[in-house]
Amino acid sequence: MKEFAPLLHGYWYLLRGAGMTLLMAGAAILPATACGILLAMAQVFGNRFARSAVVGYLFIVRGIPLLVLLTFTYYLLPLTGIDLPPFWGVVLVMALYYAAFMSEVFRAGILSLPQGQWDAARSLGMTRRLMLQIVIFPQALRLASPPFVSLCANLVKATSLVSIVGLWELTMASREIVERTLAPFQIFLGAAAIYFCICYTLALYGRYLESRVLHGH
Amino acid sequence: MPFDLHFIARLIPALIEGAEVTVELAILTFAICLVWGLIVALANSTRGPLSWFAGAYVQIVRNTPLLIQMYIVYFGFSMAGFGLSGFASGLLALCIQNGGYVAEIYRGGLQAVSTRQYEAGRALGMRRWTLYTVVIIPQVVARIVPPMTNQAISITKDTSQVAAIAVMDMMKVAQVWVESSANTYDVFLGVAIIYLVLTSVASVAGKLFERRLAFAQ
Amino acid sequence: MLEVADVSKRFGTLEVLRGVSLSVAPGEVVVVIGPSGSGKTTLLRCINLLEDYERGTVTVDGDPIGYRLDRRAGQRVRMSEREIAAARENVGMVFQSFNLFPHMNALQNVMAAPVRVKGIPRARAEARARELLTMVGLSDKVAEYPVRLSGGQQQRVAIARALAMDPKIMLFDEVTSALDPELVGEVLAAMQQLARAGMTMVVVTHEMSFARDIADRIVFMDDGLVVEQGKPDQLLFSPATDRVRAFLKRYNDRYRI
Repeated sequence: MKEFAPLLHGYWYLLRGAGMTLLMAGAAILPATACGILLAMAQVFGNRFARSAVVGYLFIVRGIPLLVLLTFTYYLLPLTGIDLPPFWGVVLVMALYYAAFMSEVFRAGILSLPQGQWDAARSLGMTRRLMLQIVIFPQALRLASPPFVSLCANLVKATSLVSIVGLWELTMASREIVERTLAPFQIFLGAAAIYFCICYTLALYGRYLESRVLHGH
Repeated sequence: MPFDLHFIARLIPALIEGAEVTVELAILTFAICLVWGLIVALANSTRGPLSWFAGAYVQIVRNTPLLIQMYIVYFGFSMAGFGLSGFASGLLALCIQNGGYVAEIYRGGLQAVSTRQYEAGRALGMRRWTLYTVVIIPQVVARIVPPMTNQAISITKDTSQVAAIAVMDMMKVAQVWVESSANTYDVFLGVAIIYLVLTSVASVAGKLFERRLAFAQ
Repeated sequence: MLEVADVSKRFGTLEVLRGVSLSVAPGEVVVVIGPSGSGKTTLLRCINLLEDYERGTVTVDGDPIGYRLDRRAGQRVRMSEREIAAARENVGMVFQSFNLFPHMNALQNVMAAPVRVKGIPRARAEARARELLTMVGLSDKVAEYPVRLSGGQQQRVAIARALAMDPKIMLFDEVTSALDPELVGEVLAAMQQLARAGMTMVVVTHEMSFARDIADRIVFMDDGLVVEQGKPDQLLFSPATDRVRAFLKRYNDRYRI
């Protein structure tokens, strides 16, 4: 047990880091979800121009590592003259990045509804807007919720990358303690345990949602 | 000055040198994970403690950040007396994490083949070996190719994180060049384009493989 | 009441409807029969504009649905989405696969469109929905979600849902084809009741004896055309064309015990 003494000294600092991680993830998830839904709608219902714009966006985001985008935002922001605090800079980049993956999830949810649902809604005289609002979205969001939750867990893990560009959160906090205590194994394991608690909780919640989707109401 | 041709002429060979490390890491990781993930998935499908360990492994590695896993391997192991090089640590961490994802892909593929297929094979009098090689495995392979392609793309992007443990991959090369020059735009564009090419190659290879399978069936 | 005039529809190079015309009088029950692939289902879907079609027009009580004729240009013009949605309120449709909204219970399924499309006050819409569900024999299932209902019950909810919009005409698209044999009867009974109450109906079905019972007129379609139509007994027992004779012989051979 003596080997884990450094962890006992640093745990409060680590938990504060975890708080920052959650704050960052939460701040990114909201706009990512909103943009994801918009992108999905543009891809499913948009005209040719909108569709190809979305496809291009997805191609670029899916093909470039998040770390590259974060690093260069960090270097480029000061050059562009936009006065954005680094925290909001990385939140913006993470939101735009994850919006692409969220849009795939929502699009799959919309497209996996059987044709009969559209037919029934149209035959009842619903306009497109009403149809989306009361028939399509409630079901599509429900179908999309399990993969959405696991994407959120992914996003929480991905926040660790911002430590590389110098922002302070759980991973950065653990590196600072390691520099003081020279006990990397224990401290990083402790940080991993905290990440695990957050992400595994989300994973369990996602599994619960999935069982609800599979078995109906 | 963006688009400085003299600068670009020096930049490109350096980036390509880094890209070689990136590609090497990605291919090694993917190859090792194909085997390691299968072992984990098979262990997971047994009954008893082995399956419990495999399941726990998958959950733990999937719910903690790759970066933390790299730190544990790179800093933790060296503290414990058996230090690994940055490249080896990065490769090990990439395999540990992605092995968990690949195992889940195998598991999904195995589950997707319905028990009726096994019954049908047995009803035709097939021996175990014939049943698996003729009936089951071809169907599993057809199902796992698309998610495996996605995983290969994701591995390629993940390799960028080894830059955090001083491996001279493309990401690290880019960081060095950005810090030693003012041509952030050029470096960013170069890195982004090369990553896009690499991930596109993986994506196209997956599609071709998929198409060949479709013809074979 | 319903006028289908010279409707033609193709899927790619395949001509599914080749100039179909059909008129249905108020209160009339028309049953459409024919081999699979003859275009019966497509015809129903075109009436409601669930499918676009290349030529022809459909009117309900003189009001166009889908395309209106522009007299000056002598051309068909597609109505706006809003106009089409409004026109569809007059046409109720019941589908082979029920297509209930799985996230709403039976009552909500029936109430949703009257409240949200027609703007009927909730209390009145609910009273009417309960009345309709009682009519189809489901007064004890109002709070159940579709997954908890049998196919026959789901289909009866679907009938009530379509009726809740007070349509002028009801379209039934092979509504018993997806049902287990023992559940067919309850759905047919609900339709029979509706026919007796004077609803105008167009019914696509494979149930010949039901067709004979319920129909005022039977229309036989083959290869995208209306081949023959007439009173049930006349068409089923002394058809005028060889194609109908051949179809009925195949049908009888298959179902003779």
